[in-house]
Amino acid sequence: MNVRRVAAIARRIANGFKRDHRSLGLLFGAPVLVLLLLGWVIRGQSSPATRIAVVNEAGPLGAVIVTRIVDAARTGGLQVVDIGASVDSARAALADDRIDVALTVEPPGTPGSTGGPVIELMTPGVISTDDSLHVAAVQRALADAVAGTGAPAVVHRVLYGSPDPDVLDSFAPALIGFFGFFFVFVLTGVSFLRERVGGTLERLLATPVRRSEIVAGYSLGFGLFATLQVVVILMVAFGSLRVPAIGPLPEFSAGLGIANAGSPALAFLIVFLLAIGAVNLGILLSTFARTELQVIQFIPIVIVPQALLGGVFWSISSLPDPLQPIARVLPLTYAIDGLRNVLIRGEGLASQTLQVDLLVLLLVAVVLIVLGAATIRREVA
Amino acid sequence: MTAGTDVAPVVEARELRKVFGPIAAVDGISLDFTPGRIYGLLGPNGSGKTTLIRLLVGLARPTSGTARVLGTEMPERQVLGRIGYMTQADGIYADLSVVENARFFASMYGVRDRTAIEEALDLVDLGGRHSTPVEELSGGMRRRLSLACALVHRPRLLFLDEPTVGVDPALRVVFWEHFRRLAADGATIVVSSHVMDEADRCDELLLILNGRVLARGSGAQIRETAGTHDLEGAFLRLAGRAAPAAEAPPREAPPNDREGAAS
Repeated sequence: MNVRRVAAIARRIANGFKRDHRSLGLLFGAPVLVLLLLGWVIRGQSSPATRIAVVNEAGPLGAVIVTRIVDAARTGGLQVVDIGASVDSARAALADDRIDVALTVEPPGTPGSTGGPVIELMTPGVISTDDSLHVAAVQRALADAVAGTGAPAVVHRVLYGSPDPDVLDSFAPALIGFFGFFFVFVLTGVSFLRERVGGTLERLLATPVRRSEIVAGYSLGFGLFATLQVVVILMVAFGSLRVPAIGPLPEFSAGLGIANAGSPALAFLIVFLLAIGAVNLGILLSTFARTELQVIQFIPIVIVPQALLGGVFWSISSLPDPLQPIARVLPLTYAIDGLRNVLIRGEGLASQTLQVDLLVLLLVAVVLIVLGAATIRREVA
Repeated sequence: MTAGTDVAPVVEARELRKVFGPIAAVDGISLDFTPGRIYGLLGPNGSGKTTLIRLLVGLARPTSGTARVLGTEMPERQVLGRIGYMTQADGIYADLSVVENARFFASMYGVRDRTAIEEALDLVDLGGRHSTPVEELSGGMRRRLSLACALVHRPRLLFLDEPTVGVDPALRVVFWEHFRRLAADGATIVVSSHVMDEADRCDELLLILNGRVLARGSGAQIRETAGTHDLEGAFLRLAGRAAPAAEAPPREAPPNDREGAAS
């Protein structure tokens, strides 16, 4: 392999980027924007006071319970709305969005009863995430209502990560892996498609260049940008630089300051291997596209399943059984698992699961390199 | 073959055939090219000119027959370092500047000498536009840059696939002056074209139709054989004579010109 040729191909990719500000923006601006936006949404999520109404259907015994619930709700910060004393008026209030949860105390003997009265919670059922937030608030208040009566209290601690649960902590590693794959795949796919369609590949192959040199040059060129991208993302995600107030701007923190337990270098290695795979997948799939739009059409096939199954939102073990084997062959699965191992658990190279993650990513990269390289000669055979 | 010369041929093809599905894009072509001459491959679109060039450059493997270029049987990667190939499409990077393109192809050919790059750019009169992005070049300038990229390694053998398509008449004259100068320095040049009037500038012509060589010789010889005053008429007359003899049905152009066989 001729190093000069590899370097020249990598340099030509870098030179192309120099003038293509939009792609640079996509590579660096977009992930930062998404990450910051997500951080804002998750952390700044306002949970307005849950509005409840309590209806008694269980006679004098129910009235006692209602009083206790209302007291506990008030001390628990819930807003108790007076909507009248019938189930129908509670339903109407729910429908009109005057309350979030309607509590009805039903007499013993109602389905679900264990001998005593039943407390029925009713929510609108339109946005399930909102409903669960409100129900959780009510349940906390109810737990407080029984506290001190001898019932055991429950305290939640965590093995890894910050004790204050922050969804962003588990999201960040997944997003780093996802961006590393997504943008590199799209940019390489389009770039190599241009080589094929624009006739430069034909021309390139009429020089003494080796296929391996083209693949290495591409991997190096895009790998470099993927690496820079990861540096930027890591800095935004884990950095917490305090920027003092300047003029009219208030003091703010540059970076999300997500808790990070492990070595950034290892995180880096994981994303680099993933990016090499993405580069060669882009080269491979550009064979099957005729236009840039057709490269974009691969996103629902290549990117979305990985986002759904790879562990960005749900852990692999929570997936339906038939989908689990599929998830276990996707490179993103291993990258995200590896990143979580490093960044949240703080594991090093000695960890066996991390070794598996790295090994699989390396294997995927090698397979894609071979497949990608095979498509380069086929074009001209 | 130029009879009587004992110079080793630069290009030597024996019964070259390239078949794409039911179509023989190149159908048994034999030829010998000697150094320092300009050869013209003349024929309509889809006659097999590009496929013939791709076989000779080694970008495609012949179905049967052999092609020897600079003494080596093609396809062979090493020989490519001494061949220049200007494709029909410009084949240059739109997101690079003029000089970046030239340097890139120079690196691919293993040329480190910066003066060779300057020379190639000066030759096509782009010496003063080093840092202009290709996106901002006119069509004719792109064509010139494309030619320069085929010259950066001072090749001994140059394949030019329709080099003057989309080039204005004044620039066409300049191009042909370059070609003549390169040939005078000993380079062998193979030009494909479907423009008959520029064919007369070649030392020797090969009329190509349906993947076969219909006639070869200088422009004057071909006109004489056909008994016409212009090459266009000669082509039509020779094609008319050949068609019934070969019983070749009129072929349709391949559906996809880029990936397909012939153009």
